[in-house]
Order: sequence, then structure tokens, then C-alpha cells
Amino acid sequence: MVKQEILLGNGAIALGLLEAGCQMVTSYPGTPSSEILPEVVRFVKSEKLDTYVEWSTNEKVALDTAFAASITGKRAACCMKQVGLNVAADSLMSAAYIGTVGGLVIISCDDPGPHSSQTEQDTRFMARLAKVPVLDPSDPQEAREMVGLAMDISEEFRIPVILRPAIRVSHARQNISFGPIKKNKKQASFEKNPQRWAATPRFRLVLHGELNKKLTEIGKKFENLSRYNFHNLESGKQYPLGIIAGGIPYSVIRDFLSEEKRIDIPVLKIGTPYPFPESLAIAFMSACERVLVIEETDTLIEYLLRDRNKVMGRLSGHVPSEGELVPQVIHKLINNALKELNLELLQSDDDQEAAQLVKDLELPVRRPTLCPGCPERAAFFAIRKTRPKAIFTSDIGCYTLGLNLGAVDTVLDMGAAITMASGFYHSFAQDAVEQPIVATIGDSTFFHSGTTGLLNAVYNSARFVLVILDNQTTAMTGMQPTPALGIRADGSEGKAIPLERIVAGCGVDFIEVVDPYDIKKTTSLLKKAVKYVKDPGGGIAVIIARHPCVIAYPDRAIPQKKKVIITDDCVECNFCLDRFECPALYHDTELGRVNINREICVDCGVCIQVCPKGAIVEA
Amino acid sequence: MEKTINIILSGLGGQGILFMTRALAQAALDKGFNVMGAETHGMAQRGGSVVSHLRLGEVKSSLVRTGTAHFLLSLEENEGYRNLPFLSHGARMYVNTNSRHFPREEAKGLLDKRKIIYRSIPAGIMAQELGAPRSSNLALLGYFSAFDEGPINYKDLKTTIHKISPKRFKDINLKILEAGYKKGKEAKK
Repeated sequence: MVKQEILLGNGAIALGLLEAGCQMVTSYPGTPSSEILPEVVRFVKSEKLDTYVEWSTNEKVALDTAFAASITGKRAACCMKQVGLNVAADSLMSAAYIGTVGGLVIISCDDPGPHSSQTEQDTRFMARLAKVPVLDPSDPQEAREMVGLAMDISEEFRIPVILRPAIRVSHARQNISFGPIKKNKKQASFEKNPQRWAATPRFRLVLHGELNKKLTEIGKKFENLSRYNFHNLESGKQYPLGIIAGGIPYSVIRDFLSEEKRIDIPVLKIGTPYPFPESLAIAFMSACERVLVIEETDTLIEYLLRDRNKVMGRLSGHVPSEGELVPQVIHKLINNALKELNLELLQSDDDQEAAQLVKDLELPVRRPTLCPGCPERAAFFAIRKTRPKAIFTSDIGCYTLGLNLGAVDTVLDMGAAITMASGFYHSFAQDAVEQPIVATIGDSTFFHSGTTGLLNAVYNSARFVLVILDNQTTAMTGMQPTPALGIRADGSEGKAIPLERIVAGCGVDFIEVVDPYDIKKTTSLLKKAVKYVKDPGGGIAVIIARHPCVIAYPDRAIPQKKKVIITDDCVECNFCLDRFECPALYHDTELGRVNINREICVDCGVCIQVCPKGAIVEA
Repeated sequence: MEKTINIILSGLGGQGILFMTRALAQAALDKGFNVMGAETHGMAQRGGSVVSHLRLGEVKSSLVRTGTAHFLLSLEENEGYRNLPFLSHGARMYVNTNSRHFPREEAKGLLDKRKIIYRSIPAGIMAQELGAPRSSNLALLGYFSAFDEGPINYKDLKTTIHKISPKRFKDINLKILEAGYKKGKEAKK
């Protein structure tokens, strides 16, 4: 029976994976990819499949694991965000040479904007670098179909294939129809062949030659893949302007042109940017005097077009080189091109007046903040209070927002709280300067890439305080479990691995656990840690600040609600607003004191410990 | 081909915009619309400005272009203003605010010039009084449905909320939806 559901793009991708007979899906959560695996789990349960799923400890682990499955002849996939693919890059480059047996699809979700990432990097370039095919879907339904194509190509040519959904595919919602999903019963088998699976450099050269041949063949296939690479030229006709687009920009452009029935502007859609369907592009370009190239996020298609003189794109300054290509931006840059060529413009309802009004209203900038009741806020408050002059290295997760409390100075990449703390320590120690350093890292980030850095720091005698913010979940990306919980991706039981054991295993001798809601205790423990770091016989001090996330575990996080009020002792010093920065506290100009927004206060009562005048009390 | 309907939903992370989007999308699907939408996930959900786009009709792109939205539902007043550029001529906006001075004087000129019909409801206070301070989204939805200006009416929403609410929130959700609806009916008189 066919059902219809409104699925996230990531749900449509999950569906596509299972429809393609995927027998293993691995992932590490990261916006905008995080919902793929949970949706796989949901469909596996409802369709009674036996697909193996796991939250891997990081993206490299996820890719290696899925790669092994694919060389047993099974179909496998791994899912991550674009910067996650950097972590898995070592694995990807090598896997491209070695090749697969069953299908291997890597789903790497891009984040033009960026909305929730460190960079706007373009996964399509990573595919080009690794020499693997990449497919670029333009809506959820197409992403679902392309997963199947990716799996087929991967298996036919024995090569990993990347699917690159941008955030507006992953986090779009669309109604999708689907029927029952069949179980893939392919059995695992491993044929020993060390010259391939464990190739030494001499054989790598051979494998590289094979890879190049595969790409040539796939390129030929893509030339004729009219479902995803197509144009609407009328044969024999010449056009003053054509548009080449892929991914989300294609969807936006198609909507514009069909709304206004602008058949005078032909469009070439590229669904497979690499290997590039060059003959198709050459045919399109020869029918157009000028060509506007609109792609996200970088210039892959533009680089691959030979006749640069015709091209209007990023390299010629016609398309912005940073930021998301939202519809109003695309609309404007099409009109700019039409204007330049003296052609009829697209209709436009000028919205400049509204935009100007929004500017004039001087609306408050709503920066993201830690949630009311967040245990990390309490930890950051204590850290800043104890070591106001420290360098605060931090990491990727909700707690990056500790920067609002002045307790985060650096964020580089996953795990860099620890590695940068090391680097800072040695830089200052070299000059005989005793620079206080406090590193903060979340529990999931620590599992992802904290241990190698910590091992290194201990081994190389660095000195700093490390606070592991243990809220017992991967909060930022939607509450995925961590290895410390012993709960696996499908909800089944796994072995719980306590953080304390790992930290001890890294050679750390000072390990203390504290509940950060108790600010006094946390502060005194931090002081003890600082003493240890300074002691000639000391070293790295690790404090595990453990308290459940208020979103993931609302009941456990606040077992005893404390209704808080502000008394007239408040002198409007705003210390609580600046240093504690709870969104439930605000300055009430009418009352002439700080007040509490009951709509969002969760009655955690932590702020009682914060006010220097004792004006925040339990009711 | 029927005309596409574009809806913008705005507010702050944590106010339940995703649920509100889901409810409207599901109700629209059940009425036979094709549904395409775009959501905000990740860091912005931690209290930052959040916008959802919802498009009903034969479209490929999930984002609404500025100047083309027919409806704006905002769970916060300032976020409502921030998203004014999305609204088309003659659009309608529904805003959760306690302010008696809504809309701000500076905004009135533009709203009137573009013939945008604006309405407000103290959805936050209503939800709080009904014992679910985090459910202002449902009061706003109910209020919106009372005017019957969009493709989705109160009955549709009631059915959908019943269907998609987790069991322990079903009764309270429907109660708050109804309260918003009644408030809208009163305002309509």
C-alpha cells in the first residue's frame, strides 16, 4: 500500500537508502545531516528491515565502517555534514583508489549561509579532489531518487559515490509517497586480495589508473543521464542568455521562470557536477551568447566550463562568492544579467522599503543563547569567576555559546579545545610565562576527537585545566546518545563507557566530577585544579561537569523546581545579565530592576547563587 | 494550476515554530495540497531568530522570495517586523504580543501602504494562564484559523493537532488551540 508523508529532505534520503537495499548506515550527527540516521531507524522498524545502523564516534569511523561493509559485497552508506567529511577525508581519498564491491554512498550535507557550521565549503570540490562522482539533488524527492542512482553507480563501477544535499534539501519538507520496502538479503563475503585491499604504493599507481578509467566511463554515462542532466533548448534556436544551474538554485530558477513563462531563457540543469557532462554543456553553450552560472556554494561548474568568455558567474563578479543564494538574491542576479544584456526583466515587487523599515526599527539582534536551565551556563559562570584572566579554549556544540558569558575565546574544529590549550601552553611556557588556560569541551565532542589531543597533551607535559561539559547527550544536533550512555542508535543497549575511564586511560591523574548546578562546589574544585596545574608534581587537571541537558532530560535535570523571585534589593547592576546571561532574566525598565520571564524560566534556581546582592531568592 | 500559497512562520528558537509548521503542513496535505517547506535546525534553535517557510502548490523550491508571502504568523513581535520584507501586497500577519501599541507607529505607514492586514493576540499569556506557558504556538494557530482567510480552517487544524500531538499533550494542546480560535472569533465580531 502506498502511503504519503511529509518528510524532511533527510527523511526522503533515509527512505531512498532503504529502497536502494542499503544494509548498513553509519553516521556522526552534524547539522544539516543529523536526521538521516534517526529516519533510517524509524523506517527500519516500521518496515521490519534488518539494516545495521550506528552512531559512530566520528565521521572517519563512520566511513571506514561502511567501507568495510561495502567490500563484503553489501550496500552501505555513511552520513555527515560537510565539515565532517574533512574528518573522513583520509578515508575517502584512499577508498576512491581501492574501490568497493557492493555500493558505498557517502552523504555529505552542505551548509551555505553558513547556518550552523564553521565554513561554507563545497562538498562537490571534495569529490573532485578524491576523484569520486558526486550527485547534487535539488529537492527532497530528487534526493531520494538520486540515492538509488548513487548506489547503482557505486556498485556498477566499484567506486564510492557522494550525494551532496545542501541544507535546503536536507531541511526542506515535502510530501513523499512510498510503498513497502523490500529487504536486501545479500550475504557478506570477503575475498582476500591484498594487492587491492592493502595496496602498497606500487599497486596504488595501478589503482589510480583504474580509478581514472572508471571516471571516464561514468562521465560517458552522465552525458546521457537525461533524468538529472537536461536542458530545454529548442533545436536550431539561438538565445542571448542561458542559465546553467544545479542543486537548490535550479529549483528556485525553475519556479521563477515557470511562474512567468519565460521560455526565452533556456536552463541547463546539472545533477551530476562531477564527472562533468561536458558535451551537454558545450551543446548548451553554443546555443547561447552568454551563460549565467548559478551554483552553490563554490565554482565547480564554472571551473569546468571551457569557454570562459561567455560565462557570467562568480569569477566574473556576477554572482556573490559567499552567503546563501536565497530566492531574492537569485532573482536579483538574474535581473542584473538581463539588464546588462538589454533583455526583458523578471517581474519584481520591490521590497526595498520593507527592508529599510526593518533597518530603521533597530530590532534587537537575537543571538543564539544557552537555554534557560542549561548546566553549561552554570559551569561557564564558575569558570569565568575562578579564572577571569585565563585563555578559554572551547569547542563545537551548544557550549560554543559560552562566548556570550565571556568564557569562550577560541573555537577551531572538533577537539581543538584540548589541542589548542596545549599549543597555548607551550607557546607561553617557552617564554617562561605562566598563562592560565581553561579548556571546555562537550561530552560528545570529547568522544569524537578529544582523546588523541588529550593523550598528546599529557605525553608532551602540557599544563591546563580541562572541563568536560557532560550533559549526557549530543545536544546541539538533536539529542543523539553518546558512548557514555550505552544506548545505541536504534535504542538498543550498548556498552556504556564512562568518561572517567577514558580520561584516566589518557594518562590524566587529576580527575574530579562535579554537578555544575552547585556553583560553590564547582568553584572550589576549579581552584583545586588550578593548584594542581601549577604544582611542580602536577599536570593536566580534568573536571567532569556532569548534569543532564534540560532539553533532553527535563525531569532529571531539574528534580526539584525552585520558583525564583527578584526582591527590591536589586540595584540594577546587571551583573546577572552580563555574566550569567540567562534568557529568562531581563531588565525591566518599568519596575526599575531585573525581572523574570516566566514564559521561558524553567525554575532551575541556579541564578540564586549568582546575584552579588542576594536579590534573587526562592519564592 | 492553482496559485501557490506562501506562508512565513517566525519567532525565537524554543517557541515551537517547527511544531506549528508541521501542523499547518499536515493539515494542508490532508486537504490535498502539495507541500514544500523549509525549516531552521541547529544552533539558531537555541533562542535565536527562527523562520519557517511553507509553500502550498506545485513548486520545486522550499524558500519563499521576499515580497511574495501571503501570510505571516509570528510568535514574537520583533521577529514579525523582521520578516516584513517577505510579505506581498495585501498579505495578512498574525502576531503574538502583549503590547497594546501593536503595531509600532513606525511600521504602520508601510503596512497600510501595502494593504497588509495585521492582527495580534496575547498568545503567550493565554497559554500561561491555561497552564502550558510553552504552547503559545497553538493559541496563535487557533487565532489564525478563526479568520478563515487561509487555506486551512479551525476544523482542519483540530483534526491535525489531535493526530500529531503526543498523547500526554493532546488535551491541553486542543484546549489552547480552541482558546486561540475563540479569541479570534471575538475579534472578528
